[in-house]
Amino acid sequence: MAQKTGFLPIKTNTFDRIFISVVLFVAISLLWMRFLEPFAPLWVSTLLSVVLGQWIIRKG
Amino acid sequence: MRNTTTGWLLIAPTLFILFVTGLLPFLYVLVVGFFDWNTFAQNPEPQFSGVNNFRALVFDAAFLKSLWLTFKFTAFVLVSQLVIGFFLAKMLLRDMPLKGLFRTIHTLPLMIAPIAVGATWRLMTVPGLGPIPHWMQQWFDVKYILSRFPDQAFATVVAMDIWHWTPLVTLTLMAGLSNLPEEPLEQARIDGASEWRIFWDITLPFLKPVVLTTVFIRLMDALRTVDEVWMLTGGGPGAETRFIGLHIWRVVFPKTDYGYGSAMSLITLYLTIVMCWLLYVAMTGMKEKTR
Repeated sequence: MAQKTGFLPIKTNTFDRIFISVVLFVAISLLWMRFLEPFAPLWVSTLLSVVLGQWIIRKG
Repeated sequence: MRNTTTGWLLIAPTLFILFVTGLLPFLYVLVVGFFDWNTFAQNPEPQFSGVNNFRALVFDAAFLKSLWLTFKFTAFVLVSQLVIGFFLAKMLLRDMPLKGLFRTIHTLPLMIAPIAVGATWRLMTVPGLGPIPHWMQQWFDVKYILSRFPDQAFATVVAMDIWHWTPLVTLTLMAGLSNLPEEPLEQARIDGASEWRIFWDITLPFLKPVVLTTVFIRLMDALRTVDEVWMLTGGGPGAETRFIGLHIWRVVFPKTDYGYGSAMSLITLYLTIVMCWLLYVAMTGMKEKTR
């Protein structure tokens, strides 16, 4: 897979960026459940994670 | 085209075994993690519960404590084994009498099954029976009772793991050290570089792939330690040496809480993968960005 340089501080290929997105998705969801769920429902974190994942996969 | 088909046919049995023994159980655990499934509950059938298991986990003090203990244990054993293993590897590569014998003796702990290592250490640490409590009392005037003092239990578990697995680190580092090119080392010595400078700027960069592989193996092993600790302390005193593997075992087997146990396993796997990946990115220069 072709490597590219985006805003991430490392060279990545598509698989790397998908992996980073999934890792962040899980981390954000767990942290949200622990600290932010009383203030905002979990689907907000899912939405944020999906947007972030898209951004990382395209521009990371 | 024919070659490709033959190639696929040749690796098909391996792929099948990997699928059945690796991927399928993982997918099963992944699915069960989202179910409420306890065979001792009023309704023993699995019921879909969404992310409820994970929601409970992030507030579960026992789980978080066992995670913290596991990371503490991993950090202690990893650093100790790398340092001790490096010095032993340097020593065992030198020319000395009975080198072969020392190497063989040094490798012996690796051949013992973890459960037997735990049993042996338990025998050595039983007050009134094992030599360690006797020596601790005689030499340092320390009361050594594993089942009473958490720090002693933790230190003993760490010592046992170091004793058992340092030979693996030594062997891999010995392989790396014996393959170091001589020219850069000689040039550095001729130029008057200090031993520390040679180690930091020449030996360590050449050893990086070996160190990385060793750290990966030991990191994953340390994070899933169960049998040795189970045999030596049983996770005690209290829950002071109940590492994550032991904690998951207690939830899944005696309590038969399969859904919750699967969720714990998934979180542990997630953390292991993330740690290994971070380590890989940090230790390999190949991922550095070139602008």
